[in-house]
Amino acid sequence: METEKLQSPLVHLAPLDQVLAIGRANSLWPMTFGLACCAIEMMAAGASRFDLARFGAEVFRPSPRQCDVMIVAGTISKKMMPAVKTLYDQMPEPKWVIAMGNCAISGGPFSFPGQYAIVEGADKFLPVDIYIPGCPPRPEALIEGILELEEKVTGSRRWPRVACG
Amino acid sequence: MRLEKIKQALSSLAVTDEIEVVKTIPAPPAAEGEEQAKPTEVKEKVPQLMLFTPDYAKKGFHLDVKVASADVVQAAQLLIDQEFFLEAITGVDWIKEGQIEVVYDFNHWQTLCRVVIRTRTDRSQPEVPTISAIYSGANWHERETHDFFGVNFTGHPDLSPLLLPEDADYHPLLKDFTA
Amino acid sequence: MSLDVIDKSLETFVLNLGPQHPATHGVLRVKLTMDGEYIVHAEPVLGYIHRMHEKMGENRTWAQFMPNTGRLDYLAALSYNHGYALAAERAEGIEVPERAEYIRCITVELNRIASHLLWFGAFVLDLGGFTPLLYAFDDREQILDLLESVTGARLTFCYFRFGGVYNDIDDNFITGSREFIKRLRSRMPMYHDLVSKNIILIKRLKDIGPISQEMCRRYGATGPVLRGSGVNFDVRKHEPYSVYPEFDFDIPVYTEGDSMARYMVRMDEMEQSMRIIEQGLAKLPEGPVMAAKAPKILKPAKGDYYAAVEAARGSFGIRLVSDGTNTPYRLKLRSPTFSNLSLFSEACRGMILPDALALMGTLDLVIPEIDR
Repeated sequence: METEKLQSPLVHLAPLDQVLAIGRANSLWPMTFGLACCAIEMMAAGASRFDLARFGAEVFRPSPRQCDVMIVAGTISKKMMPAVKTLYDQMPEPKWVIAMGNCAISGGPFSFPGQYAIVEGADKFLPVDIYIPGCPPRPEALIEGILELEEKVTGSRRWPRVACG
Repeated sequence: MRLEKIKQALSSLAVTDEIEVVKTIPAPPAAEGEEQAKPTEVKEKVPQLMLFTPDYAKKGFHLDVKVASADVVQAAQLLIDQEFFLEAITGVDWIKEGQIEVVYDFNHWQTLCRVVIRTRTDRSQPEVPTISAIYSGANWHERETHDFFGVNFTGHPDLSPLLLPEDADYHPLLKDFTA
Repeated sequence: MSLDVIDKSLETFVLNLGPQHPATHGVLRVKLTMDGEYIVHAEPVLGYIHRMHEKMGENRTWAQFMPNTGRLDYLAALSYNHGYALAAERAEGIEVPERAEYIRCITVELNRIASHLLWFGAFVLDLGGFTPLLYAFDDREQILDLLESVTGARLTFCYFRFGGVYNDIDDNFITGSREFIKRLRSRMPMYHDLVSKNIILIKRLKDIGPISQEMCRRYGATGPVLRGSGVNFDVRKHEPYSVYPEFDFDIPVYTEGDSMARYMVRMDEMEQSMRIIEQGLAKLPEGPVMAAKAPKILKPAKGDYYAAVEAARGSFGIRLVSDGTNTPYRLKLRSPTFSNLSLFSEACRGMILPDALALMGTLDLVIPEIDR
């Protein structure tokens, strides 16, 4: 088969994608979706000492129509699961999900043989991008999770990783 | 004072159960040259009024009364007339005895006096009259006990699930519950 | 509550508040039947964070249940640790050394201040003021630093053990607490000037949401909700436990019964907690922090036991039924917010929606504690 030489396109969209990606990563708008204890550490991350505003993510919107990222902070019970799914569906693209805390990752301390009320992890029904372990994770861990998400969106990390000794 | 008053008021409602006790009958003294026989133990049922005033430091409450299921409403009326408030209602599943016990905890604002009212009902069809007409807070406590144990509180305005999903038909805190 | 109470001649519509809502402090859903802006009937729907604590109580040993108590009311987790430890120690007959009792009271009161600070920030946020939240969180972070240096956790503490506490406090903690009290005492006048005496807050809270004593008795409301309605009932004075009888502190009681009264009760309670901490640090005895003879595996005698403590939200009670084995037979958690929320339906009838949300804020709800 003959190979056809394609004309180089007039408009290069890849750099535009990169600019959009940097813009999205630096202004992630989370949804106020605190379910349980991890919500308090999420609030602490948005408050004065840990200050998510430095990363552009302090605008916690209650309405899913205005959000980019859903931080699932807390245990998802079977009764709450349809509501979580509805909220996820209502978010416009592009959207990401961060599972914060052990309960959102795998049910946490509440998954035991014979349990009847919780969903063991947000990834059972949502596409999770970032997992932040901890019970509850420190606000610094949430910030690290946001930085990882930014790396996932743009391809490069804002600050170099600090090696733990 | 308050304890004596409420104890007097509730004593008419307390049931008398047959409790199994072990009685030791001492053996007759041995004759010369014979060995002393061991005392015999006999199990017998004695009637016991189920109204106790336990040691508060050990148990945490002052008065423990068991009433018949039908008398729960009257007990609640006596308690609210003496200005007690309802702290909690819960159930305990005694699967080996085939009964579900419903436990009511009451307390008083002015003097410390914790009163516990118990009643037992058959496990296969547990039914207790509601006290939500007297204590409005019992509305939610009874809904929760119904959720967890399946106890039917007759006369309750709305016994739908409170903590479980609306369509739940299982009762998780029963001992033979499997998820 | 049935819908029969609604006057059928009104044209009403149903509005759903929650379960995802900034003002509900957790996953609470309230089905509101509205006549324009006025609430005709409000029905809270619970269960969205039911985490099976009482079922877990039956499947775990006595010691394995302690972390659960920290996750019930995570804002004042040490009070719940205390309640459970008290009940188990009463059941098994364990004596706690005096130093451990003092440490318990000091850390519980620090946690109470942290809980009230967060309540204060979140409540004013509900009413529309964002700034006090940031100031309150700043003070709260100082407390969490202190508690983290001793317990290792910031939020869901699991610090108490049967027979004492597992880690002793050091001099850094003692000087840090004294510094913190000095700092908070200097900031409280600012909070009162800018928030409590603010004309907007006064207009939004004064004479709004009256709760009578008789309503409190019927529903079993305790804590600041009850003390804002004029009843002097606090488990620390009424049914003393631990070393609270050694401390000299007052119980703030306001008789108006409106939202402003409940707000002021909590603000004054922070000052009283600071008094308790100061006295505790001054009187702290030397000694062990763990009972010498605490058994590793608990097997209390058959029977049931009850213990109550004053948590930040009211009287937290535990009813333990033991069958002599190393797991509880039944573990009932009496949640104060459960009883406090049950009166919301009757209290908010006929109010406009923003006033009802102010009332709900003064009830200080933590939903995982209601749903358990």
